[in-house]
Amino acid sequence: MAEQFIGKASEFKDGDRQIVRIGEDEIGIFRHEGEFYAYSNFCLHQGGPACEGLTIANVEERLRPDKTSMGLHFTNDMNFVCPWHGYEYDMKTGCHVKDKSVRLRKYDVVTKGNDVYVVA
Amino acid sequence: MSSPKTTKAKAAKPAAKLVGAAGKPASDEGMSAKDKANFIKAMMEGLKPAAAAEPAKKVEILRKISAPVPVARKSNPTSDDALKLAAALDAKFAGGDFEALTPEATQALMAALCKLYAANMEAGDKFPVVKDRFAVTGTDAMILCGALLKAVDLQVFELGMWQSWSGV
Ligand code: FES
Repeated sequence: MAEQFIGKASEFKDGDRQIVRIGEDEIGIFRHEGEFYAYSNFCLHQGGPACEGLTIANVEERLRPDKTSMGLHFTNDMNFVCPWHGYEYDMKTGCHVKDKSVRLRKYDVVTKGNDVYVVA
Repeated sequence: MSSPKTTKAKAAKPAAKLVGAAGKPASDEGMSAKDKANFIKAMMEGLKPAAAAEPAKKVEILRKISAPVPVARKSNPTSDDALKLAAALDAKFAGGDFEALTPEATQALMAALCKLYAANMEAGDKFPVVKDRFAVTGTDAMILCGALLKAVDLQVFELGMWQSWSGV
């Protein structure tokens, strides 16, 4: 595993993504709230392009103490959704939002000054 | 190819022949056993093939997906009329009247909005299709999406494939 240069940090606006091929791996690199996250682009469901779908805030249903619903709300946690059948992954961990044991391969991202590297 | 045993034997030889300036064995010249061991170790290291450097991998950018940029547009008479019409339809619907528009009027409005929205998206002016998550229900969205796909004879899997190819 070595650091692979993938671009300049200044070229990534918040919310931007890049899909890169490094050797045998296809990797999605996200910039979210100033941080970089990199995951395998192969969805754990059926190998779809996991990092290329919608990014959407997590939705939660808030309940009163008596369990009546106060409706659905967006939280501050961001997810990305595989466009094939909708597997939804947590942006910060790569875990499936429902089943934490389902987790995309995560790659370390290193920034040195303005240069961004993925360890792959 | 020589076996590791042979290599070891060869490497050990120079150490055995170590002599000091006066032609005496090196150990007699004050070279400690530890120094000798270090010397032999260094020789052995030198005989080992260098660890193969990891070949540089090619990084190929497959696609760049930009964050949506908020679209700012000044209000104009057409937009004002559209907002008034939407408010009037919402008010009628809230009052239980969902027959406010004829099917022809609904179809014309739907087609015009569909084309307008798609043209904006394709031009890069991306904005959410409704203002917030609760403007329409999930059921409303599924009924309309299903009806639009059916109207143009598309299947859901074709939509999924197109979305993954186009990144839209
Ligand atoms: S392949 Fe990703 S959800 Fe099915």
